[in-house]
Amino acid sequence: MSIKSLTPSTLAIAACILLAFSGVAAAADLKAGEAKVKQICQACHGLDGNTPIAENPTLGGQYPDYLAKALRDYKSGLRKNPVMAGMAGTLSAQDIENVAAYYAAQPAVLVTRH
Amino acid sequence: MKSLVMVFTTASVLLLAGAVQAETKPLVGSAAAGAQKNEMCSGCHGITGWRTAYPEVYNVPKLGGQHAAYIAAALHEYKRGERSHPSMRAIAATLSDQDIVDLAAYYSGTPETTAKN
Repeated sequence: MSIKSLTPSTLAIAACILLAFSGVAAAADLKAGEAKVKQICQACHGLDGNTPIAENPTLGGQYPDYLAKALRDYKSGLRKNPVMAGMAGTLSAQDIENVAAYYAAQPAVLVTRH
Repeated sequence: MKSLVMVFTTASVLLLAGAVQAETKPLVGSAAAGAQKNEMCSGCHGITGWRTAYPEVYNVPKLGGQHAAYIAAALHEYKRGERSHPSMRAIAATLSDQDIVDLAAYYSGTPETTAKN
């Protein structure tokens, strides 16, 4: 097999396959995120991230990487909160990506205010 | 003499009551005041897509429309050292309790808030 038989489409497909096995965290699954939110998060933060409870943060439209970082910190104990430690403790790394992406995708309540 | 004692006692009680009253009155946050105090905040929180570089790279959280009580609680936690971000700790250390409620009012978008200290 000579190099000339490697068409661009073959190379593209090979690249995609390689990427799939490259160890990059799987893209967030919004459906799985929604299911997890309904299970764990909704009671305090609402399904769309809006909550009437003043002490609980609104999450709708927040940056997903910030939400994921916060959950990881609650899980590891770097951020200390007994309620959130319990909640985040039940989440896997993929769950964290999913719920963060889900809330980030909700209609933006949160905006950048200068 | 007796009436003087009465006057003195009454005056003392009233003064004491006034002092206690002042200590327990909750602070009122004003968004207008907060708008004047947020130069330190807008440099990171006021720019869409701005990211903190240390200790990890991630987006600085949006604050506009967040609950005032949550913002105030977070600033107090940074001030007490209960939250870890070094820059936020340093900034919160410079804020008075009044500053905190004013900033919370400003970012939450409500003109005035009453928050417990």
